[in-house]
Amino acid sequence: MLAVSPAMCPDVAEDRARVVAGDAVGMEVVGDMEFDFSVDDIDFGDFFLRLEDGDVLPDLEAVDPAEIFTDFEAIATSGGEEFQEDQEVPTVELLAPVEDVGVVDVVVGEEHREFVAEAAGEEEKVGCNQDDEAEEANADVGGDAAVVAEAKSSSTTSSSQEAESRHKSSSKSSQGKKKAKVDWTPELHRRFVQAVEQLGIDKAVPSRILEIMGIDSLTRHNIASHLQKYRSHRKHMLAREAETASWTQRRQIYAAGGGAVAKRPESNVWAVPTIGFPPPPPLPPPPSPMQHFARPLHVWGHPTVDSPRVPMWPPRHLVPRCPALPLVPPPPPSDPAFWHHPYMRGQAHMPTQGTPCMAMPMPAARFPAPPVPGVVPCPMYRPLTPPALVSKNQQDAQLQLQAQPGQAHMPTQGTPCMAMPMPAARFPAPPVPGVVPCPMYRPLTPPALVSKNQQDAQLQLQAQPSSESIDAAIGDVLTKPWLPLPLGLKPPSLDSVMGELQRQGVANVPPAGG
Amino acid sequence: MGDSSSSASYIRMVHHLIEKCICFNLSKEECIEALEKHANINPVVTSTVWKELEKENKEFFETYNKDRVERNIEAETMQRIQKMLSDAAATAVQLAGELAW
Repeated sequence: MLAVSPAMCPDVAEDRARVVAGDAVGMEVVGDMEFDFSVDDIDFGDFFLRLEDGDVLPDLEAVDPAEIFTDFEAIATSGGEEFQEDQEVPTVELLAPVEDVGVVDVVVGEEHREFVAEAAGEEEKVGCNQDDEAEEANADVGGDAAVVAEAKSSSTTSSSQEAESRHKSSSKSSQGKKKAKVDWTPELHRRFVQAVEQLGIDKAVPSRILEIMGIDSLTRHNIASHLQKYRSHRKHMLAREAETASWTQRRQIYAAGGGAVAKRPESNVWAVPTIGFPPPPPLPPPPSPMQHFARPLHVWGHPTVDSPRVPMWPPRHLVPRCPALPLVPPPPPSDPAFWHHPYMRGQAHMPTQGTPCMAMPMPAARFPAPPVPGVVPCPMYRPLTPPALVSKNQQDAQLQLQAQPGQAHMPTQGTPCMAMPMPAARFPAPPVPGVVPCPMYRPLTPPALVSKNQQDAQLQLQAQPSSESIDAAIGDVLTKPWLPLPLGLKPPSLDSVMGELQRQGVANVPPAGG
Repeated sequence: MGDSSSSASYIRMVHHLIEKCICFNLSKEECIEALEKHANINPVVTSTVWKELEKENKEFFETYNKDRVERNIEAETMQRIQKMLSDAAATAVQLAGELAW
């Protein structure tokens, strides 16, 4: 612990206490900071130059002195609460030089008084150097790192003032309650996690993490708070993972025991969702749920197998990826959603998993081919009806739909199947636009033949033709050669066929002795 | 005997048969097999006629083949869904049974 003079402002002690609470092991590392210089030795210009990392500390751009003054007032009105928070960092750092610079405690005490004073009456110039203001005005310093740096430089009223203004600006741009505003990008977070894992989650100490990460613009405090969040989230997720694992286990047991039940007829399957399992929405392709049950929950921040598919963190990156999020709107940076997000990978991460937060990135890329993103829990139904032919039914060789051995196609198309989006666009000239709205309609007829209506036969596609029906159809053709061609494809040129056959060494004449 | 006419009619018949197979969503191979099995058509003949038909009706066959691929995927997917649902049903039944106690 630092030997802090009791004469210091009580707020400082409070802040310190808070900091200590936040990171029990952290205080000792304050000594790591370099405080072996006095104000005079410092070239403030250097600080600002160094701290111009736009990516890490993006907030403070042009710090207008006028802005600062208004901010002071705002803060004063808010009761100086933000002060305390914001000052946590610099005051902590300020404590360190107590040993070195005897005047610091006085300064610190002054600082707080000054803040209040300044907030009240814009007296920022108390002992302040004009150049500090100027530097502040034109410097690109972001957030509290600058504050910290200045604090490190053994605070004077000027630096404390700058610190304050930094805070004000940052608080203006952020929510105001943050310490150093660090943008935890995925890259940054990844390095953080690496460092933590390297040290061991229990032994991970912010100062060590900082060392390992080796990023100048991060303060120990940034790391500390981030570590705290990380730990809490990890615990939460591990607990959930355990719960899921046990659930999955139980489920497997039941499934094994319930094997006999699985042989129910197809129609019952669709009634299953009513039993009590939340029915999977008609959107996600099924393979994913299967995979998902088997896959352990992803711990926040840890790399997963599926990382290439969707980067899980930060969640705002997910927003563009799932424009059609059915369940949860793109989560605001509010904490619960934020931290839960990394888990929500995979499409069918459904209520079955018991997770409240359902961000479902739906990579259509999961399925290379189908233009039908959703899979339809409908028995193989595919009417092949050139609508022009629907009415007539001359042929005996009428192919029946396996699912619906009936006459009319149209009614069957109204089956309560979920949307099977059949892009009619597949055929450049859909036969009859009026028919298209029917979701089940998929015209197989080539566009060229649409209008022709050569056949009066009804055409239906059979998804799973049985051998008997094929045999029957073939037999029909053989016995009744006069029947019109079902599809009306353009016949091949006789010559080319014959030529080809001869090349193959076949005599075409209908083979004798068939 | 009009060889050409009988050949022509034969070819036409094969053509007809192939079209019927297409109505059943058969692949080329399946069609060849079916025709051979049920109609004693020389596979070479079937194959040749199919190829020629494909040449003459390129667009149609392009779409047809694409559809088949998708249909396969879809069928497979649906199978999986059904399996899942039946598994879920089994589990649900089990759970219900357990809860009853």
